[in-house]
Amino acid sequence: MEAAAEKSRKRRDRKRALVAYSFIAPNFIGFAVFTLIPIICAFALGFLKWDGNNPIEFVGLANFAKLADDTFFWAALKNTLIYCLGTVPLTMVASLALAIVLNQKVKFRGFFRTVSFFPYVASLVAITAVWQMIFHPSKGPVNAILYYVFHVQNLPNWFGGKLILLTLILFSVWKFMGYYMVIYLAGLQGISAELYEAAGLDGATTWQKFRYVTWPQLRSTTFFVVVMLTISCFKVYDVAVMLAGGGDGKLGTSSTVLVYYIYQKAFQEWDLGYSSAIAMVLFVLVLIVTIIQFRGEAKYEKD
Amino acid sequence: MKTKSASKKRRMGRIGLYAILIVITALMLLPFLWMLSASIKSNTEVFQMTPFQWIPDNPKWDNYIKIWTKIPLGRFIGNTVFLTIVVTFLQLLTSSFAAYAFSKLNFKYKNGLFLAYIATIAMPWQVYMVPQFIMMRKMGLNDTLLAMICLQAFSAFGVFMMKQFYTGIPDSLCEAARIDGMSEYRIYSTIMLPLSKPALSTLTIFTFVNTWNDYLGPLIYLKTESKKTIQLGLRMFIGQYSAEYGLIMAGSIITLIPVLIVFLCLQKYFVEGVASTGLKG
Amino acid sequence: MKKKVLSALLAATMVVGSMGSMAVLASESGDEEVTLNWALWDEKTATYWSAVADAYMAENPNVTIEMTDLGSSDYMTVLATDLSGDGSDFDIVTIKDVPGYATLVSKGVLENLNDRIEADGIDLSVYNGTTEQVTADGNLYELPFRSDFWVLYYNKRIFDEAGVDYPTNDMTMEEYDELARSVTKQGFGNDQIYGAHYHTWRSAVQLFGILDGEHTVLDGNYDFTKPYYEMVINQANDGVCRSYVDTNASQLHYSGAFSEGNTATMNMGSWYITTLISELASGNYDADLVGDWGIVKYPHPEGVEAGTTLGTITALAIPTSSENKDAAWDFIKFACGEEGAKVVASTGTFPAIMNDDVIAEISSLEGFPQDDASKEALRTAQLCLEAPYDTHITEINTVLDTYHKDIMNGDISIDDGIAKMNEEVGKILGE
Repeated sequence: MEAAAEKSRKRRDRKRALVAYSFIAPNFIGFAVFTLIPIICAFALGFLKWDGNNPIEFVGLANFAKLADDTFFWAALKNTLIYCLGTVPLTMVASLALAIVLNQKVKFRGFFRTVSFFPYVASLVAITAVWQMIFHPSKGPVNAILYYVFHVQNLPNWFGGKLILLTLILFSVWKFMGYYMVIYLAGLQGISAELYEAAGLDGATTWQKFRYVTWPQLRSTTFFVVVMLTISCFKVYDVAVMLAGGGDGKLGTSSTVLVYYIYQKAFQEWDLGYSSAIAMVLFVLVLIVTIIQFRGEAKYEKD
Repeated sequence: MKTKSASKKRRMGRIGLYAILIVITALMLLPFLWMLSASIKSNTEVFQMTPFQWIPDNPKWDNYIKIWTKIPLGRFIGNTVFLTIVVTFLQLLTSSFAAYAFSKLNFKYKNGLFLAYIATIAMPWQVYMVPQFIMMRKMGLNDTLLAMICLQAFSAFGVFMMKQFYTGIPDSLCEAARIDGMSEYRIYSTIMLPLSKPALSTLTIFTFVNTWNDYLGPLIYLKTESKKTIQLGLRMFIGQYSAEYGLIMAGSIITLIPVLIVFLCLQKYFVEGVASTGLKG
Repeated sequence: MKKKVLSALLAATMVVGSMGSMAVLASESGDEEVTLNWALWDEKTATYWSAVADAYMAENPNVTIEMTDLGSSDYMTVLATDLSGDGSDFDIVTIKDVPGYATLVSKGVLENLNDRIEADGIDLSVYNGTTEQVTADGNLYELPFRSDFWVLYYNKRIFDEAGVDYPTNDMTMEEYDELARSVTKQGFGNDQIYGAHYHTWRSAVQLFGILDGEHTVLDGNYDFTKPYYEMVINQANDGVCRSYVDTNASQLHYSGAFSEGNTATMNMGSWYITTLISELASGNYDADLVGDWGIVKYPHPEGVEAGTTLGTITALAIPTSSENKDAAWDFIKFACGEEGAKVVASTGTFPAIMNDDVIAEISSLEGFPQDDASKEALRTAQLCLEAPYDTHITEINTVLDTYHKDIMNGDISIDDGIAKMNEEVGKILGE
């Protein structure tokens, strides 16, 4: 009797698994062939020396050992981490605030939403040009205000030294907040109006509604936003090259970032093994952040 | 007395809200206005700051005509439209399908597989581009639009995003349907899909924008002129020693229009109550 | 398909055949139909590519040359990716710069041209010493096709208004610095006249240092660049030239700087000559501001021959994966030889071979300044390549570019920056 039940449960489980796999298969096959396999190759590259053509050489951990003594790697890592620490929380807060505002019944809502999305789709040349005009060291309005209103004598250079990272962070928040606003907007639609009604009957303030309804209901969206933001911040490249690189797109030690260095190693010097080793560091960092988030989410769900 | 001050407070809040919105809008619109202004300028005027003119003395409206004749822009737009539609369609279909399994079904290695999906997003493309290219060429996909479709249609991003939205939809809905004897496929198509309109709209917008604006992928894979995309076409105006920014901006404005239309059309699905009405029914 | 099989067979017989008979076979193959695929950039905007291809096809009706435009901005990346693994379709590849050349050589994807050069008795001395600077361990893998060298552009109107004598074809660095200072006029907004302008490239500042012929960027010790960093930064502090920070943040292209009409002199490559001419002709530049321009030879350090200048070369090479190597070589011989040089010069572009004919051709271009000094300025004495061949050249360049940026941005002092260059390049060379 028990054995039969056990057997039928097993069969049911297997059938369920098969159904699940059938859902995943169409995407997974394409994903595995065109993305996963090359990425596994790239992983292997971290332990190899390869220039894309000559015979591959196994070098063990030599690529990783080289990282320890690489000035540019550490500079890039430091800049990338600072950039992430600044950009991730600021963008998240800004995009959530924007989404909540534009989820209300305001006039021209469609227009405002579209406009917010704009910096994300506008050409990078255009947005860097605008930004460079605003923050131009000698002709920009920001420094003009500092000079005429606050009588600052040594006007800051927003594109060099320590300030370039701040400029990059502000620029990125501006460029990406519309993008993540869209995600939050979609997430907000999943919250049942009944929850707000119930909270309203309990006499909750606006803040309490946010704290006890909106925020917990958005946690899966927030998980997505934080992970994607972290990943894209760690992978920052073109924004840095355009904004800090100027005419020749070269970055100094104060603005260099990991993917810039990866690009240099991979496509200027064709040291694919070493560039892969740098990427692995980036990968591990992102993975740590993701797993922490993942755990947090899972714990929340249990509670 | 009390209600009066409350309504006054509300009105003040309203005004404040619009003031903030208008400031943000102005900030967000700046690059667009800059593009418009640059698109009717000559090369030397584009980056000129002293004095900065929104409308140059001799506006070059013919930039908007030149871009069609100097490069086969029509052809490039055609290619890009084809690519974007196919990729977006495949992406929506396969990711929402896979995401359903990840969020509402149980199977072995679910979390591991899902983490693998996310992890691949973290890998910069530059690192695996070369092995990928060599592999694709061995498959005979070099210089084909099919290569671009294969590369972009099965991204992990879509699966991740859809899964997160489905997680937000209560499991009880699916359980109820299962008890009613619905198959998983029916649950997906009759319950989940209609509920996920905002998420699908979001994914459509993102996939559309990404495919539309992709540059490095087509650059490596598409070599014959008749197969090139808009972004490659616009780069043709950047030469070794000079760049025709007026033409690039005119081209960017024109190619931006479809993106904005798609966005405007889809944003109306971000309306409160889609999910809640679904829940009641 | 048939063509491909045929040419593959042909290529196979070539490999079997000895080196001596190769040239004979190559000339015999003149009757076969061949299609050559040529990788290049700016196909639409630069006229010299198709001019050379057309001239060659007119002489060799059996050859069809197809051009594949890989775009200018990421050309070397795309090319090197395509040449990775076997299976590239290219028969002729253009090589944009020496660092790119060095990576392709070390990847082993370029055909060694030594035997072909010897068999066909090609005289490399016409290339003004540049081929020696790109010879890798005694082997040459490319032939120079185009060449550019740096000159000093100046705006005659500004000199006339300031009552200062024009620059000359023989100026030391001190004389140049003095001249730039004497023509500078401090003023507000458009009244400001800059005596000099430096583009953001490292070569525009640091590479004054290699003109003495004793130093190159491969040295590992960059103390010799200090006087030039000091000269430029002092000029910027004194308002003689725009500061790097401003130039960088304004995305100021050198053509913009010169055509604004407030830049008295500017050091830049010879490629800018054709741009200047055509922009003036089309009315994009205001002729009242810059219509009267001239060029002189590059300023040089004390004791160095006038006409010593920085140079770059664009070269042609054959990928090892090509199935039509002999036909490709025949085309390269033409394009990089005297005939090709004439065709390139007729489009206003500088070919790698600079002889009297070519100089006459360029200086007779409509719009080229008519004073003798400008014509004379086209004669170079010694061409120091911005980057000579070395297996480490790309890595060294990365280091130098990084600290150049830091120095010019004012993030670190000149001494610290140079010390960093010495230290980091030392690590690379010490490996």
